[in-house]
Amino acid sequence: MKKLVVIFLILMLGGFTSEISAQKKGRAVVCFQSDMDCADCETTLYEYLKFEKGVKDLKVDHASNTIFIEYVEKKNNEKGFAGAIEKKGYKAEKISDEKYRELVSIAKESGHEHSHEVHRERE
Amino acid sequence: MKQIGIIILLFLPFFTIAQVLEGIVYGNDKNGKQPLPGVNIYWQGTNSGVASGDNGTFKIRKTNGNHILVVSFVGYETQELHVHNLDPLEIVLEPNLELGEVKVVHKNRGTYLSAIDPIQTERINGAELHKAACCNLAESFETNPSVDVSYSDAVTGAKQIRLLGLEGTYSLLQIENMPNLRGLATNFGLTYVPGPWMESIQVSKGAASVLNGYESIAGQINAEYKKPDSEEKLFLNTFFGASGRLEFNGNGNVRVYKDLLTTGLFVHASDQAQRNDENGNGFLDEPLSRQIQVFNRWKYNNHKGYMAQAGFSVLTEDRQGGQAAFERDMQPVVSNPYGILIENDRLDGFFKTGYVWPNQRTALAWLSNFSKHQTRSFYGLNDYDADETRFYGSAVLTRDFDLLGKHSINTGFSFIYDNFSENLYNQQLERTEQVPGIFAEYTLKPSEDFTFLAGIRTDFHNLFGTFVTPRFHFRYNLGEHVTVRASAGKGYRTANVIAENNYLLASARPLQWTDDVFQEKAWNYGFALVQNYTLWERDLQLNAEYFRTDFQTQLVVDRETSSENVILAPLDGKSYSNSLQFDVRYQPIERLDLLLAYRHNDVKQTIGGQLVEKPLTSRYKGLVTFNYTTNLKKWMFDYTIQFNGGGRIPRYPVEGMESMQFSPDYYEFSPYTVMNAQVTKYFRYWNIYLGAENFTDFKQKNPVAGADDPFGPDFDATNVWGPIMGRRIYLGLRFNLNYD
Repeated sequence: MKKLVVIFLILMLGGFTSEISAQKKGRAVVCFQSDMDCADCETTLYEYLKFEKGVKDLKVDHASNTIFIEYVEKKNNEKGFAGAIEKKGYKAEKISDEKYRELVSIAKESGHEHSHEVHRERE
Repeated sequence: MKQIGIIILLFLPFFTIAQVLEGIVYGNDKNGKQPLPGVNIYWQGTNSGVASGDNGTFKIRKTNGNHILVVSFVGYETQELHVHNLDPLEIVLEPNLELGEVKVVHKNRGTYLSAIDPIQTERINGAELHKAACCNLAESFETNPSVDVSYSDAVTGAKQIRLLGLEGTYSLLQIENMPNLRGLATNFGLTYVPGPWMESIQVSKGAASVLNGYESIAGQINAEYKKPDSEEKLFLNTFFGASGRLEFNGNGNVRVYKDLLTTGLFVHASDQAQRNDENGNGFLDEPLSRQIQVFNRWKYNNHKGYMAQAGFSVLTEDRQGGQAAFERDMQPVVSNPYGILIENDRLDGFFKTGYVWPNQRTALAWLSNFSKHQTRSFYGLNDYDADETRFYGSAVLTRDFDLLGKHSINTGFSFIYDNFSENLYNQQLERTEQVPGIFAEYTLKPSEDFTFLAGIRTDFHNLFGTFVTPRFHFRYNLGEHVTVRASAGKGYRTANVIAENNYLLASARPLQWTDDVFQEKAWNYGFALVQNYTLWERDLQLNAEYFRTDFQTQLVVDRETSSENVILAPLDGKSYSNSLQFDVRYQPIERLDLLLAYRHNDVKQTIGGQLVEKPLTSRYKGLVTFNYTTNLKKWMFDYTIQFNGGGRIPRYPVEGMESMQFSPDYYEFSPYTVMNAQVTKYFRYWNIYLGAENFTDFKQKNPVAGADDPFGPDFDATNVWGPIMGRRIYLGLRFNLNYD
């Protein structure tokens, strides 16, 4: 019995540590500016985009109106994501990583920063 | 184990570096913005909450982990706000009323203990319901520390729950806040609530509010079905068990007229057509069964204070158990194999409506339901047929005495009609209960940290006369981390002696009873301490609780005095239950939720003139659950270990017993462990789950005594304390489509 528990914990920890390492090989990042106007749109878009091909990390934020996507390069591209966002009825204007960080930090200063954690909590 | 609990309690660290967020809440009503006192304000996913003060102002501590502030108040739309700095907030709530419904805010965490509710309540939401196969209400408690689920016997597949170590009949079972699944539905009722139809479950322990009636001795379990005006458009679930169990569930919502009139249609079908006899005793481990159920509900909400809901459901179920060689068309005679056939047909309906006056200080609600239940059954040579017709209605007037909601009162009347017509051993039993009652409940809430609830009701029973039910609840926040609760209350219930115990017919000894109906009475006292901390930026919840139930009158099932009969008689002496529980909830690593719980049950009853441990009840229960989700929640892993303590097995005296040698396990069962695991993979519209129940394959040996001669004197399939079925592997698919 006890052994099983220990094995289980080891497996879980093992699975966990492999995930910690930051941006891996073959991964790319794309950021968009959008026009969400409500928290519900954020949820809708988040739930939709996370199942796009190749998505490994995702941040959707209605306060700064930004979308951050980390994905497997081979599996998808910027156009694909832009198309998906537009399909849901939102604007998808590609912005640079710097611009993304800037927008997020502005929103943060005005009291509207959203960490990834927030979105996860809303599921 | 006890010591560990105490150490945990003593372990009171103050890890949080918190800042204070201030704000003011307004209600937007006819006369414009008015400051709203008494509004619940808390951080989503936590239990740290406050209530707004006299002029709508509030102060709440904000830690790094807190981002979403939930603002909710009865009669208003709940708001969720993203808060990331300490700028003062101004919040305006829009009116909306959902009387008679418990509003559950979605949280990542599957189960949580409320810090606001004055009654110790555990809330189980959709996230938790995804953690187990969860085909019906009985199976929804696999990952719950407070509720035990066990088989009543080895042949009918009936499952019973225990709260505080006491049988499910001592808990008030409600559907949508109305008492339900009682009387003839007692034995199989838990399987009449399909898991996928449910939106949430609330389990509260100890005395419940008098608004819900005089029952609820050990506690109250309320299941909420999905609402027709929810986001969900279509939901489908299919389930395949490797042992031949098939299930299908579906529900869809239609917006008939804008968002004013909505309707939901629910269907459920389950089937067990494969004969399983793993222990090779010739008896089916689970009965062959089929259940079909359809439910249609309607909701009207004018968004101006008036709301009405109505619905009806139809259910048909049949079960065939006993020896594997028994066929449905066989006559129940000694020359044929031993068979059990149970057919249930049930019709249910409900209507509830409510109105809130524009001043928001007065509200009126009406709740009613109706059911008609028919049972046709035989257990070997014993026929049992019964019919029940039941009606429940309750009107509640809510009034706040002052604008601030410091004093408020709920008052009203209720009516119960319950008619039984039963036939057992060719004896016809008829009775009708008619119980008008009046009640009042006063709430004192001078600040967000203090609530006192005093309720009293008087019921005028046509069979048992007039009786009074007092109940008290108290909640106090000791600082921001600790909430204490205390409750005391009296409870009554009608023991439907045969209807609730007919599974005992699966025994060679006939039932013997003195009264076919009488009233059970008990006092319940409880004390609970809930602590919430932030430890390394993650929420840590510690809970300790103690409940005592003292029976004054009770129906005692005596299987051990007589070798001739199973005796169902009123209690003569003491009967009580002490339940002490500790639980800890924490995320030791990111996205891994861990629950550790331990409960000690001390349940004693006077049986045959002696105060003894209640038979077939585990002395303790330990529970460990792990829930892990990957980033973006595409995968979910669940693992549950239940440690069940040993207990006493009731044995009746046989001739020459004194000289016989019995092994210790004749009178005692040993502790045992059951493990369940499940993996869920989420896709955009689909999710697929694969799991195993009881995967260590632990089974009670010889669940059917005298199995080789079922018509002989030793036959008894009711001494059941552990799992009858071994490892069960299952696979399921869920499909879900929402309104945009």
